[in-house]
Amino acid sequence: MKVPNLTIALLAALLPISSAQAHHAFGAEFDPNRPLLIKGEVIKVEWVNPHAWIHISREMEDGTTESWMVEGGTPNTLLRRGITRDSLKPGIYLVVDGYQSKDRSNRANGRNITYADGTTLFLGSSGTGAPRDGADPRDRPR
Amino acid sequence: MNTQTHALFLILSAVVIGSFATADIPRTADGKPDMSGTYNVGTSTSMQRNRIFGDNRYMTEDQAERYARVTQSALQGRTESDPDREAPPEGGDGSPGAAGNVGGYNAFWIPRDGTTSVGKMIPTSIIYEPDNGRYPPRTEESRKRMASRYRNYRQNNGTAWWLENEGPGPYDDPELRPLAERCLLGFSSTSGPPMLPALYNNTKRIVQTRDTVMILIEMNHDARIVRMNSEHVAPDVRKWMGDSIGYWEDDTLVVDTTNFTDRPGLGGATRNLHVVERFTRVDEHSLLYDFTVDDPSVWTQAWSGQYSWPETDERLYEYACHEGNYALGNILRGARILEADAMTAQGGE
Repeated sequence: MKVPNLTIALLAALLPISSAQAHHAFGAEFDPNRPLLIKGEVIKVEWVNPHAWIHISREMEDGTTESWMVEGGTPNTLLRRGITRDSLKPGIYLVVDGYQSKDRSNRANGRNITYADGTTLFLGSSGTGAPRDGADPRDRPR
Repeated sequence: MNTQTHALFLILSAVVIGSFATADIPRTADGKPDMSGTYNVGTSTSMQRNRIFGDNRYMTEDQAERYARVTQSALQGRTESDPDREAPPEGGDGSPGAAGNVGGYNAFWIPRDGTTSVGKMIPTSIIYEPDNGRYPPRTEESRKRMASRYRNYRQNNGTAWWLENEGPGPYDDPELRPLAERCLLGFSSTSGPPMLPALYNNTKRIVQTRDTVMILIEMNHDARIVRMNSEHVAPDVRKWMGDSIGYWEDDTLVVDTTNFTDRPGLGGATRNLHVVERFTRVDEHSLLYDFTVDDPSVWTQAWSGQYSWPETDERLYEYACHEGNYALGNILRGARILEADAMTAQGGE
């Protein structure tokens, strides 16, 4: 049997930490058949456990707006990084890609949330936090 | 020096060295090691050992260096994304695990601190018994139980696939949902016992008195109450985190826990679970947490693990899980809508 490369083995050992467990499986809540891109201004942020929710006034193609909620991770980690509820104020323009919830309400997972220019406030990359998923054209090859 | 005097000298030396070795640790008024403090128990050490390490419990220096590099890079995250990107692909993005084909949240939500070392050594896994650092084989009974549980498992495809199966579906009742999703316990056995490192929110706070030791677990704000020098409650009394009693074995705090419910925090375990934890104050700044798990209806032998609990200056934050748990409602409502869709499609054929 070929012995796996140590680096790959170590990386594989790390992956379950970042992708296998969470408060709830996002797969139970969101619909893979309803991908979406949300652009708009922050209305408010619910800084709550187990998951933070960012409310966004979504710009629709016909020029109207709709109120949407985007699910993030636990706020406790962000507090430890010095990011507080005042770091994401109403009026900040965000770009979010994710999937709509299965109940078809205006909720989505915050798969990737950035400022309008692509820089990040506190999310920063596409994918699940562990492997690169190819969604970002600026991904460097491994 | 005759043999008898030599022996006495050795014993005295050992006593002196022993007292120096433990002189620096904080102690309570009654002389017991003081475990009180706030600890960050996050670690990137994996629970099971990668087979590449065989029976080696610790990494070599070279392996440890490479491990540190890989760990750092895996948790680094990126700082930019294309602002003109499109929505993710229809049908899902292929994310595995809990991210369930729709993606989760990225590395910024995952703390990069914590420790991997025990003393000066880098362990290859948390589990050290059995010798291969891996869970022991499961019993036949447990294998059958797991097979039945996973027989109907499907990757998230956005349909009510469970309607094709006999029996209740996984979303029929909130009580069928995992404990973490219901905010009853944090995931990854963070409250345990055994208390294992999770993706985040790994802060613990210990308050110790002579009669009681309290361990507050940040996620989901659960308090384990350990009664010192006591006896377990009656067998028909069952608790989410079991019934914990404690005693001192020299300078080690031993906590014995039984009386679990049918669904302990430790994945796969049953109401027969028995956990023995050992807390040792290594120095002023850290504890060594050691545990042995025995559940004869699940594993063919008991298994043990160990990792460091370094003290932290950070605060343990409140974790009001129920209040913000919109997800459970979304999940159940979503399932009803997918079921209605499937019924409509069936009626229309």
